[in-house]
Amino acid sequence: MLLHYVTGLGIVVVGFVHLFTIFLTGSYLQNLSFYGGPYSVLAVYRNLILVSTLELLLLFVDYHALNGIRVILIEFHQGTTWERGVSWILTVAGILLLIYGTRTILLANLLV
Amino acid sequence: MANPLISELKRAFTGWFIPYRFNLERWAYALQRISGIAVTGYFLAHIVETGNVVGGLTAWSPTSTAMASDVWAATFRFLDNPLFDTGLIVIGFMLSFHTINGIRLTLTEFGLLQGKPSRPDFPYEPKSFSKAQRALFWVSILFAAGTAVYAFHVLFGA
Repeated sequence: MLLHYVTGLGIVVVGFVHLFTIFLTGSYLQNLSFYGGPYSVLAVYRNLILVSTLELLLLFVDYHALNGIRVILIEFHQGTTWERGVSWILTVAGILLLIYGTRTILLANLLV
Repeated sequence: MANPLISELKRAFTGWFIPYRFNLERWAYALQRISGIAVTGYFLAHIVETGNVVGGLTAWSPTSTAMASDVWAATFRFLDNPLFDTGLIVIGFMLSFHTINGIRLTLTEFGLLQGKPSRPDFPYEPKSFSKAQRALFWVSILFAAGTAVYAFHVLFGA
């Protein structure tokens, strides 16, 4: 469970960066548009530091959210089969989500 | 006959929604779980939404910037309605509450702000939910309400 707390605090940091670039750096309408300005969608994805925080945010939220669902489900019902099943299904789902999200980040960098 | 596993899960889940006659800590517990599930739902939708911009599941090579820009704008138009905006305000509330209450729970995990152990006496107030812990819970509610007001201003303001 230590990782749940570590990723939680990690989300506070990189999640703040994510929201800061959108809402606290001038016009959020500009920052939510695709082009233009230093914090628009494409600009953030092509900024190595900011895109790294996005990847970290993806990793942390992915772990934290699916582990949270796992904890809830294990608390609902006790049993080895249930616990193993829930853990395996959510681990696989988490890895697939991480791959899909990372693919989005990579493709956004390679747009032609 | 109903599946015993399903009925047990149902009973466990509905238990969250009858927190009357329980104390504030129990309310915080139920809200933390409900907000966690809500934000997880947002996270999944956000991954799908951003994935669609670069072509979704069918794209196996980088698409054009112009097409991605069009999908982004189309997503924006599609989601720009009062129903979705109201949902976002709720998500903002849930996310802010989960953040501050999560910090409170992290402190609890490491035994901070817990109060000293003592003999249990009537009316058996839980020592673990100290004044500082209660204060942090209300700070999380206030912060969440503030976020909801800000979100309302962004989404429905001029």
